[in-house]
Amino acid sequence: MAAARTVPSFTPAMLVTWILFATVPFWIERVGLYQYLGVEILIFALYALAYNLVLGHAGLPSFGHGAFFGIGAYAFGLAQSNVVPNLWVCLAVAAGAAAIAGAFVALFISHRRGIYYALMTIAFGQIFWFIAIKAHRITGGEDGLLKIERLPASLGITTFNLGSNIALYYFVLAVFAVVSFLLWRLVHSPFGRVVKAIKQNETRARFVGYDVWRYKAAVLVVSTTLSGLAGGLFAMAQTSAFPDVMSLHYSGYVVMMTLVGGGLVSFWGPVIGAVAFFLARDVIGSFTTGWMLWFGLSFVVLVLFKPEGIAGIFSGVMNGRDKIVPRPAAAPQSQAR
Amino acid sequence: MSLLNLLPHLLNGIALGLLFSLIALGFMLILGLMEQINLAHGSLFALGAYFAYAICGAKLPLPPDVLVAWAGVPLGLRFATAVVVAPILVAPFGIVLERLMRRTYGRDPLYGLLLTFGVAMVLEELIRVVWGTRDYMMPVPRDMSGGFIMLDLIWSTYRFWAAGMAVVAMGAVWFIVERTRFGAMVKAGAHDSEIVQALGIDLTRLRVWVFVLGTMLAAFAGVIMAPLWGIRPHMGVDAVVPAFLIIVLGGVGSFWGAALGGLLVGMVVGLSGAYASEWSMLSMYLLLIAVVTFRARGLFGKKSVLEA
Amino acid sequence: MPLFEAKDLHLRFGDRVVLENISLAFEAGQLSGIMGPNGAGKTTCFNVLTGRYKPNRGQVLWQGDDITGKSPQDIARLGIARSFQLMNLFDEFTVFENIAIALPGTRRRGHDMIARAYADTALVDEAYSILEKVGLAGRADDEAKSLSYGARRALEIGVALACRPKLLFLDEPTAGLGSDGRARLADLILQLKGELTIVIIEHDMEFLFSLADEISVIHWGQVIACGAPAALKANPWVEASNLGRLN
Ligand SMILES: Nc1ncnc2c1ncn2[C@@H]1O[C@H](COP(=O)(O)OP(=O)(O)OP(=O)(O)O)[C@@H](O)[C@H]1O
Ligand SMILES: [Mg+2]
Repeated sequence: MAAARTVPSFTPAMLVTWILFATVPFWIERVGLYQYLGVEILIFALYALAYNLVLGHAGLPSFGHGAFFGIGAYAFGLAQSNVVPNLWVCLAVAAGAAAIAGAFVALFISHRRGIYYALMTIAFGQIFWFIAIKAHRITGGEDGLLKIERLPASLGITTFNLGSNIALYYFVLAVFAVVSFLLWRLVHSPFGRVVKAIKQNETRARFVGYDVWRYKAAVLVVSTTLSGLAGGLFAMAQTSAFPDVMSLHYSGYVVMMTLVGGGLVSFWGPVIGAVAFFLARDVIGSFTTGWMLWFGLSFVVLVLFKPEGIAGIFSGVMNGRDKIVPRPAAAPQSQAR
Repeated sequence: MSLLNLLPHLLNGIALGLLFSLIALGFMLILGLMEQINLAHGSLFALGAYFAYAICGAKLPLPPDVLVAWAGVPLGLRFATAVVVAPILVAPFGIVLERLMRRTYGRDPLYGLLLTFGVAMVLEELIRVVWGTRDYMMPVPRDMSGGFIMLDLIWSTYRFWAAGMAVVAMGAVWFIVERTRFGAMVKAGAHDSEIVQALGIDLTRLRVWVFVLGTMLAAFAGVIMAPLWGIRPHMGVDAVVPAFLIIVLGGVGSFWGAALGGLLVGMVVGLSGAYASEWSMLSMYLLLIAVVTFRARGLFGKKSVLEA
Repeated sequence: MPLFEAKDLHLRFGDRVVLENISLAFEAGQLSGIMGPNGAGKTTCFNVLTGRYKPNRGQVLWQGDDITGKSPQDIARLGIARSFQLMNLFDEFTVFENIAIALPGTRRRGHDMIARAYADTALVDEAYSILEKVGLAGRADDEAKSLSYGARRALEIGVALACRPKLLFLDEPTAGLGSDGRARLADLILQLKGELTIVIIEHDMEFLFSLADEISVIHWGQVIACGAPAALKANPWVEASNLGRLN
């Protein structure tokens, strides 16, 4: 049968990671950190995973992803006060708004790649950021959209109050688990493989019959949708939404997280990167205000010497991760090498 | 609005555009020869402004008595010194950056982009560490500041000085690129680095010099822009993003497309400022998207590595 | 009616005319050859026929339908595949996946974001049967970029075959191959000849003359001669341009 050597979907390392994540609220304060940090890390881990779909898997360097995260955050807040204060509806609106924005951008840039892609995404990102700052009546401008509530999660039978950071953490963890599972499936689905093929060789993909434009547009929309979802969660966590997450700087941070973690070689790299980013902020930040300087320097060093990032440093673990070689039903006859 | 009322907006726009062009030109020089996007260009620009501030404001790491003596020198002279010396002080940063970038030559241009992005972050943070996060105002010599009245309108004098200095610098670049052996080598190298090497030109050194020139242009632009924009840590990003747009708009690989793109952007920003000043910066992005949607390579662009 | 026909193709790059008045016709089931000196415009001609460039003038017909100016993916979906002179593979994929991704079965499922890729055993078997054909079954799990030059050439053809074409364009498939490689390639082409229509650009006269049913000679962007191999050898044009020299 097929699948003698397919990608393992669950490894011991992952089991350990999930256990760590699941127990965070029990130990995070003992190591001198605080509950909210866990929420923040998970949301950005989700965001970075979604972003990496574009950067790592499709090879499309978007430098304006903050826009979609921010749009999700605003949409969540606006839906709450203007549509209906229901968690599921508001999260759906957040994701939907980012999807629409992503589709709009995709219309203009899906025929591009490489640095032109980066430039165009910067331009679009700046436009959305600028609108967020200037559309004072809708977004509150630089003062932000305040008084966003942490809505309760109703599951039919029971309802969870997400007011506390611990409850919110578990809610975000659940969303993270679901989304990362879906993303994992996506990356290893036929769609995911086609996207990967396009990343390696757009021309050949076209000549074997793929409509490259559509795939590039689709992968951007999926990524912005999930970024918007993460943004919605972030608005809920912060109980407010600000334009700063849409700035070029913040768009750059998610690029850095993804790269530092090793998104180019590993599915979970962006998660590692998000953890590293926030730990650096809080741990280095407790010694010096210039933590970003040190994080930036390590980013530079990684780009120069180890573009595969942290995950790439443990490359022994990663080896062969992305190899898909199912065996034929009839054992292959030995063939001349 | 009458045409006369639009005139100041147009002229201010042109002045702004000339400064944008200057930033973009340094950027283009590096992009043209190295086929590398230097996202740290804006940080070099910011460094130029901060160094100029330190020179003008006599806030240098020098013995106190020297500083006192320096502070006694007329502002005009201090400003002139800053215009000349600040770019020279920034040049070594460019040289270091070029050294770092050597590792990315021949690799996916994305790495150059990421590297310079990281360097931009580092430089910006360095500025925060050294100078703090507050804004500074750059003092301007009396003769260059203030305003004057023309056609019943008040004009800012320094804007014209700044535009004038930008024109002089661009003229110098034009001379270097079009009239010197160095310029010929740069253009040849941008076209085909193998030919340049076959002619026995040391491409490594050429690259360093181009980087130095580009860096000094960025810093020079930072110096003359500082009195207009004020000095703050993220001024680099504020400058590099328009420079980018101008390059894409003008067309990659075209030196004078960059100059023209800058003017165009300046005028559009200036004119749209007349109608909706809040939104004037947005017009620049819309202009870019409009142009690039219809002309994939910008106004004067050639096929380039950026499309790979 | 020929399976595939090009009428009066004309293509300029800037003010440089690269193709002028190219007319070609390929009959179903035949093996046609294209030859001509370096820079004659052969590859460019393929590029026009397979949708990479739009001709400035002229028509491309597939089973009588006008397909001029269609995109490469649309043309590929009609059942027209090509290999490239400069190799053009999915370098980070395994040899298996290079083939598997090109299969029409995979392509039809390309929008599926949830199912596991290549879970379908029929598809896997199909990929392996193509690997067998091009002699790479033993290397299915090597990365394409780790292959030797000859093996990459074979994979280049394998990817084109994986498209399950009715018409196959091969651009200098023997380039850089030793005599062993050439012999194996000739076997493969002979084997394919019965199954599909093939057009080969080739510099190796011996190779081409022994396989082709018909040969067109392109020079200066024009078809200067066309005919059965035997007839061509006698053609004064071909003699004159020093192309007909067999060894
Ligand atoms: N994209 C392009 N832009 C400009 N000129 C081109 C382009 N592609 C090809 N040419 C020119 O067109 C001419 C024909 O090139 P082509 O590659 O078709 O030749 P060829 O017959 O395949 O040669 P070879 O035997 O070397 O493969 C060449 O002179 C080449 O320089
Ligand atoms: Mg050729």
